[in-house]
Amino acid sequence: MKTIWKKELQSYFYTPVGYVFIGVFLLISSVMFFVAVLQQHSGDLPSFIGEMSYLWMLLCPVLTMRLLAEERQKGTEQLLLTSPVSLGGIVLGKYLAAVTVLMIMTAMTGLYAVTVAIYGTIFPAELLVSYTGFILQGCAFAALDLFMSGCAATPVTAAVMAFGANFLFWILDLLAGQIHVEAIEKAIVFLSLYRRNEPFLMGQLSFAGIIYDLCFIAAFLALTVYRLNSRRYRKAR
Amino acid sequence: MIELEHVTKKYGSITALSDVSFRAENRRTVGLLGRNGAGKTTALNLMTGYMPPDSGRVLVDGMDMMTHARECKRRIGYLPERPPLYDEMTVREYLNFVCDLKEVVRKDRKAHTDEITEMCALTDVRDRLIGHLSKGYRQRVGIAQALCGNPELIILDEPTVGLDPMQVVEIREMIRELGKDHTVLFSSHILTEVQQLCSTAVILNVGRMIRTVDLTGEGSDTVTLRVSVAGKPKDILPGVRSIEGIRKTETLSSGDPGVTELRLTCAKKTTRGRVTDQLFHLFAAMDAPIRMLAPEADSLEDVFLHATEREDDVP
Repeated sequence: MKTIWKKELQSYFYTPVGYVFIGVFLLISSVMFFVAVLQQHSGDLPSFIGEMSYLWMLLCPVLTMRLLAEERQKGTEQLLLTSPVSLGGIVLGKYLAAVTVLMIMTAMTGLYAVTVAIYGTIFPAELLVSYTGFILQGCAFAALDLFMSGCAATPVTAAVMAFGANFLFWILDLLAGQIHVEAIEKAIVFLSLYRRNEPFLMGQLSFAGIIYDLCFIAAFLALTVYRLNSRRYRKAR
Repeated sequence: MIELEHVTKKYGSITALSDVSFRAENRRTVGLLGRNGAGKTTALNLMTGYMPPDSGRVLVDGMDMMTHARECKRRIGYLPERPPLYDEMTVREYLNFVCDLKEVVRKDRKAHTDEITEMCALTDVRDRLIGHLSKGYRQRVGIAQALCGNPELIILDEPTVGLDPMQVVEIREMIRELGKDHTVLFSSHILTEVQQLCSTAVILNVGRMIRTVDLTGEGSDTVTLRVSVAGKPKDILPGVRSIEGIRKTETLSSGDPGVTELRLTCAKKTTRGRVTDQLFHLFAAMDAPIRMLAPEADSLEDVFLHATEREDDVP
């Protein structure tokens, strides 16, 4: 697992993918920071982080698209699958590499907090809770998108499928307000990644939120392993 | 030792392999022969644990691939049809990565990869990106990859396809070297290659195993000679028949009435030299120049064509 993690992390920074992900994220979030915080003379970092979390939806597919689809496209998965490594190890290694890049990027956004701290006041505990929610949400999207990469035959289709899946989760929120059947509405609210994130943005450490996100991640990683394994059984060439 | 035991594999409605059984004994080089689509790649993919069989078992040193996957895979080095290379890595980085995958101990890694790089003649390119290498080098990196972790069993899927003639010779030489202290199994549709390198050939046709051919000649004690002599058959044959040690004489059509073509079967390998000498003296005395005199290898081509044709007749 560690071997795969290391290899993926290297390849993020040998190829443009890692830089594109971090660069685009920082570019867009800087603009958001300028508009929402600096121009408004506001010190409200949690709501800024809430807005920034919409970027996960856009950028996680870029981070995960290659991970499994490219191995399949280039035939390198034959090396991995005939080596003494378990499927779980492969999937987890790849996932953790994506999460590592995601963490590096999140650490860089700490600069915004420093800026606010210099010119105003920040509330460390509140900020920490917001960040916890932010990171968990990113990890959840990464797991969902990794699963899409495991389903797709090429990185491009993986990215498109991942965008689709991410938008579906986003649209759930919009739907929730429109459907007036209580059971369905409740189910949607239960599933929504964004609704789960709201308490964090208000500075509440929501255990339900943490557990939901962790279960979400575990479920999609397990599905990915299942998906790869079932493909071995009915592979056609 | 690796063994397929009554293995069947289907892709949807297509049966890729049907009840195939064979084994590769230790330190033997086994060639898997068959036309395109015969199921060679499928057989190799099953043997390396890339895919599980629908029924039957794959055994590596007596262990079932399904239940002891890790143990089995540790003993196998595999070069698939398309070498599994990462273009963005250098040769050195790639081999280090594969060594980590194959659980080579950290402190031995440097010596191990150096040895492999040397053996596969990759020393000059070891710091170049794999994406920039030519096809021949890529193939060699692929073989180098299969050697990482020093597996006892090396499995190669059509290792010489798409290479230029020099590279083909190099790769064959490498396989011969490997065969000295490894069990090597490779697939090919080139008969001469299998004949040159292997001690056993397994012939597959449309997913069925037709036969196993022993190429060491240890099984049979006869040896065949092909002779072409300037002279009419009726003059030549009586003399030839009188030579001691020839068990069977066949006349082949030469297309030229003035030339006689014969296939002679010597009763024993040890008598081959004596029979050849006698033929020479006989023809010299008859003033019939010898156009050709050569031992005929147990022709794999005949076996192969015969076997696959017969299978084609089956509806």
